[in-house]
Amino acid sequence: MEKAIKIAGLTKIYKNGRGISDLNLDVDQGDIFGFLGPNGAGKTTAMKMMAGLIKPDCGDVKIFGASVLDNYVVAMKDVGCIIETAESYPYLTANENLKLYARFYPGVDQNRIDECLEITGLIKYKNEKSEKFSLGMKQRLGVAAAILSKPKLLILDEPLNGLDVEGMLDMRALIKRLAQEDGTTFFISSHLIHDVELTCTRIGVVYGGKLVNVEYTKNILSDYASLENYFVSEVDRNGRV
Amino acid sequence: MVGFRAAFLNETTKLMKKKKILAAAILSVLAVVVGQVAVTAIKHGFGLRVVGSTEFPLVVLSIFVYTILPLFATFVAIDMFNGEFSANTMKITLTRPVTRFGVYSAKVLTIALFIAANLFFVMGLSLLAGLMFNPSSASMLGMLRIVLSYSSSFLPVFVFALLVVWLCNLLRGGLAVFFLSILVFVGFTFLDIVLSHYSSFFITSMFDWYTLWISEKINAFKIMRQLLIMLGSGIMFFTAGYYLFDRKDI
Repeated sequence: MEKAIKIAGLTKIYKNGRGISDLNLDVDQGDIFGFLGPNGAGKTTAMKMMAGLIKPDCGDVKIFGASVLDNYVVAMKDVGCIIETAESYPYLTANENLKLYARFYPGVDQNRIDECLEITGLIKYKNEKSEKFSLGMKQRLGVAAAILSKPKLLILDEPLNGLDVEGMLDMRALIKRLAQEDGTTFFISSHLIHDVELTCTRIGVVYGGKLVNVEYTKNILSDYASLENYFVSEVDRNGRV
Repeated sequence: MVGFRAAFLNETTKLMKKKKILAAAILSVLAVVVGQVAVTAIKHGFGLRVVGSTEFPLVVLSIFVYTILPLFATFVAIDMFNGEFSANTMKITLTRPVTRFGVYSAKVLTIALFIAANLFFVMGLSLLAGLMFNPSSASMLGMLRIVLSYSSSFLPVFVFALLVVWLCNLLRGGLAVFFLSILVFVGFTFLDIVLSHYSSFFITSMFDWYTLWISEKINAFKIMRQLLIMLGSGIMFFTAGYYLFDRKDI
């Protein structure tokens, strides 16, 4: 089966020396891939390159076989993403925001917009401007925007940021439901290791700009008491004091 | 094409939802009203006939094209590029299935639409004011001259807007772009006077390009020369702006 994501030799080094170097990674269709790493390890940089927001120094990312560098429109056709923060146009209502995004996807109509607002618990705020939204509500709107086109791949950078407990539980349930029912592939970065442990089927640990290990969650949990123990051990093994 | 169409519709929707468009409309109406009041006051106070009904829109245009129109075109361009970069909303569009060229072209086309709409809005208003206050001096030829003047004024202002778009992608801060745009505007106007032989290369000197189209004797050679210079400048600014936009890391 074609890989959902195929990353080959992806490198981006900033002037301060940080970034990501020679990232090679395959994500299978249907995977819920957790991308773990300490602050400044290069997670967001890698995800920005995957979404075409920054150009790599070298290497390439293929999404369902289409290169993000050479064939961006085809590569992003079935992708939804939240990168760094969930943004929306503050002077537009939640509904107007989603209407704007829907124009890029033929087949997304008002029913689908309402469905996404319902899923994310924003339906009663659909006619409120997003400038009045709390951080959690903005995050929910970002999730609604990401799932709007029923994408085959969701790239989510810290999707639980700003969500309350109920929101986190909803989000976790949503990810599992989409993966099981629609076969959606997820590429998620998060600092909340416990949530990653409960949600992700495969884990990649990035440290100091390099991918240090990739393993299935069930294998990790058969060797370690928790994902946190595994993460600490991997980080320690790679030189962190 | 789906991506470009969506991006263009979205840009126009966003523009319509902002207060700047309302401010531009109010200022345009004010400019026409103040102009008409001044003309009427001079006529009744001093007994002098300043302009007829079909000349009034040309007087308005001569002021409008050097003030409100380039100013608001600059505001709109800064808002579309620097504003979206600083508010982090640029990535909303850039992570959709549309090329950066599609997004850039959609933004530029929206600026063009804003300039054209603003010009025709003021033309309609001033024409109405002129006809209301001086109905006796109206003529078909006069009307044609007005339409020609306002239509031809689009190109130099649009090329200036492309220069601003290039600056927007060259500099990070919107405020810096705004002040630099004003400096360029003032500098070009000054150089146009000092170096009058080279005035064709200073885009602001062509803001009164419309006078060539409505003069008694049409100088086709001069019109063609200025048209080619403006098209050349426009293509260069558009390409340079796109080059920077495409390379931007978000």
